[in-house]
Amino acid sequence: MVTRIIQLVLSPVIALVVAVLFLGLSRKIVARIHRRYGPPIYQPIIDVIRLMTQHSISHGALFELGVVFALAGSLVTVLFIPLGGTNAPPGSYPLAHGLLCPLSSSGGLLVVIYLMLFSPISIALGAGASANPNASIGVSRKMLLALAYELPFLLVILAIMSHYGTISIAEIVSRQQDSAWGVFSVPLAAVAAFLILPAMVGIRPFDVVGAPQEIASGPLVEYGGRYLALLTVQSGVHLFIVIALFVDLFLGGGVNVVTFLLKMFAVFLAAELVSAVLPRVRIENALKFCWTWPTGLALAQMIITVVSR
Amino acid sequence: MLPATTLIVAFASAGLVYLAGKVHARLRDLLAVLSSLVLVGLIGLGYGAWGELVYVPDFLGVELVLRLNLLAWFFAITVAAVVSLSTIFSLTYMRRKPSATFHYSTTLAVEGAMLGIVFAGDLLSFFIFWEIMSWSAYLLISCNRGRALDAGLKYIIMSLVGSCAMLIGLLAVYAGLGVLRIPLVAEGMQAASPGFVLLVLLTFGLAFGIKSAMVPLHTWLPDAHSEAASPFSAVLSGVLIKMGIYGFVLLMYAVVGLKLLLGLGSGWLSFHHVLCWLGAITVVIPTFIAVLQTDAKRLLAWSSIGQIGYIILGISFGTPLAFAGAIFHALNHAICKGLLFLAVGAVEHNTGGVRNLNDLGGLAKRMPVTFACALVAGLGLIGIPLTSGFVPKWLIYRTLIEEGHPFLALAALIGTWGAILYVYKLLHNIFLGQLPEKHNEVRCSPPSMRIPLLLFGLAILVFGVAPGIPLRAVQGIGATFGFAQLKVTLWGLASEAGALNMLNICFAIVIAFTAVFLLMRLGAKGPRVSQEDSYAAGSAVPVGRYSYTVDFYSPLSHMIAPYLKDRVDQFYYWLAARGREIADLTRRMYTGYAGTYVLYIVSFLALLIFLQLVWQIW
Repeated sequence: MVTRIIQLVLSPVIALVVAVLFLGLSRKIVARIHRRYGPPIYQPIIDVIRLMTQHSISHGALFELGVVFALAGSLVTVLFIPLGGTNAPPGSYPLAHGLLCPLSSSGGLLVVIYLMLFSPISIALGAGASANPNASIGVSRKMLLALAYELPFLLVILAIMSHYGTISIAEIVSRQQDSAWGVFSVPLAAVAAFLILPAMVGIRPFDVVGAPQEIASGPLVEYGGRYLALLTVQSGVHLFIVIALFVDLFLGGGVNVVTFLLKMFAVFLAAELVSAVLPRVRIENALKFCWTWPTGLALAQMIITVVSR
Repeated sequence: MLPATTLIVAFASAGLVYLAGKVHARLRDLLAVLSSLVLVGLIGLGYGAWGELVYVPDFLGVELVLRLNLLAWFFAITVAAVVSLSTIFSLTYMRRKPSATFHYSTTLAVEGAMLGIVFAGDLLSFFIFWEIMSWSAYLLISCNRGRALDAGLKYIIMSLVGSCAMLIGLLAVYAGLGVLRIPLVAEGMQAASPGFVLLVLLTFGLAFGIKSAMVPLHTWLPDAHSEAASPFSAVLSGVLIKMGIYGFVLLMYAVVGLKLLLGLGSGWLSFHHVLCWLGAITVVIPTFIAVLQTDAKRLLAWSSIGQIGYIILGISFGTPLAFAGAIFHALNHAICKGLLFLAVGAVEHNTGGVRNLNDLGGLAKRMPVTFACALVAGLGLIGIPLTSGFVPKWLIYRTLIEEGHPFLALAALIGTWGAILYVYKLLHNIFLGQLPEKHNEVRCSPPSMRIPLLLFGLAILVFGVAPGIPLRAVQGIGATFGFAQLKVTLWGLASEAGALNMLNICFAIVIAFTAVFLLMRLGAKGPRVSQEDSYAAGSAVPVGRYSYTVDFYSPLSHMIAPYLKDRVDQFYYWLAARGREIADLTRRMYTGYAGTYVLYIVSFLALLIFLQLVWQIW
């Protein structure tokens, strides 16, 4: 019972700390590629604290609840994702074996992909509570972008789930640790997943949803103060979830939390290197891109998986 | 005997309500609501009961039987609940409409017919009640006149095609096996030749496919659902099209049987496999057509077809998990779509008949209860965890993946992502964003409209957190058809690999929500301002002008619209036009000259004489 509670608290805390750290690192990395000095790594912490103390207008209960549900949804999603460790033999305490995934037994990957919907829908509803057209345009783009990357993403996870014949992430991780990593056993899916990674996280070249210079941060346009603080943290946790999933599905998870986080950092760095040098695309082009290369690769992988079974 | 009592109550109250309508409107309303609630109570009492009753011992040599079992009970309680809530909703919606009396009494007749279908113990009773349902539904669909007449005509013509097919199947069964009672037919089927089984499956399946609006037999549904009065649309979409599903279940599992069904055909060309793929197509294409719609009820109608696809996919896949998911989803869709049609009806009622999504917006503040309930139903339709839509979809996906059909699973999952698009479009364009000035006066709905919405919404949440309640009944149904038992708990499923516990998920979300909420309270508070007081880079946003609702998904619709024309509908219209031409040619026989008719008679006689001379027939 105690281990379980520790796990339940530890997972979101790791996610929060790493999320904020990644946000800071992201600005630093991009700055260095642009040959600037960049803000300190702890800048997001300062920003969040400052935002929490600033007063901000609100458009009503739905406007506020949208923010709360968005962050809560992301934190809950973290509980379903293994954050390193080998799979525990049945009957023993998972934490003793280093598997940090408190709710691994509740529905597996299918629950994760559904829980990942919580945040975008909450933000969309909250943003819709204002009458700002920029927010509506942003939400419309978010929905379309989600559809754009979900098609290849679903193909990718279906290829993996049918390759390993299970819907449990913990089992997929342990199978990879026993044999080869997903990158080697389902390589095309891994490439496809990496191609849509920026779209899933919402960084360049697919930052069409926020797009500050066009639609004034889109869904976030009306949010300030404590709401913006929570949404900043939410975007970090979302980044954490997507990269953690990538590590779990393709890089064999981690033997313990430390190696897991190191692998996450490697993936994050690779994504940032791509993102830092590309300009923003239009939403139509994002749709076209996601439905050609990543979808084609993932589809090829799925056909190979089905045929070779 | 319960089925007989409920049928008598339903049909008698249909007549009584009609008579009461002649006396006083209040009396009629009271009687309609009371009798629909009595039916819910009566059926609720019959949980777990079994029995058979011969109500006509000898009808041209056939016994007519009513029976009660768990499958019948499950569908009957859904029918009764949806109809009663729709009737309560009608109290305000139908007030002062000239067709109100007709609406109430015919709705009760449709309910009686649907209950008759699920309680029918032999195929002839089934057919009789099926016809009563089809015809009374036709009257209700075309009740509004105008475009509703065309919609009703389209519906009844397609229904008649289905009925004819079913009649052929019925006659084939009677000629081939000599019995019509369902258990006896099932026995006879086990010894029948595969060709005969396929004939029965196809003829009955055509009728059920048309009624449940499976692609490519779906074309009546978008017109009929959008043109009918909203409370009846809720009945149509919630339970009437589920009669097709009930028919499929009865046919495939009670009559033909699981073993025989899975052995029919081989590989990709087996019956259930083809039906699976039809189900998958029914999920994907209508879902994306729904995304393009601008009429709220039409959007919901197309979404109904898409959701029916999941049920057909689940039923025809034929594993315990898929079957349980499909039956559970039939319940979930009945609740969610019932609620959404009523919510759109409430909006239509309060805004003076507007259901064009481009003319609405910002109504969340004016109709908060309707919005909250529509939101819950929308999430249920998507299948977000903690709504009743999650568990059935999870069951279907899981079995599709684990049985090695990732392409079917892809179709199902893509349908869900399409559902997100149209649900958000519906909610945003009606309730969120800017409020058009002409709707400033819109007021909150009266209690008789809010209570059904709240009850539906409550059911979605309760079945979402405690899916064990419906799952127990569902797995009981599965057990009668020889499916392996699922380990159902109140909060989900217990099994070795990949259990599901909604209570865990519920607790996690509640705790995370509370924590984040408290965190937000720590931050500095700000004033609440009106919706229109928004940031626009220094220049004010003109009120009521900049609503971003028209063509909400324009980049997507430009891309996919050319591929999503309803060619099946065009083909049927083409067929109807050719039929009219042939009829027109036949008409030309009647020239009006007596001489021509004499010529016909003489040439016919000549033909007879010729036949007799050559072949000596008589």
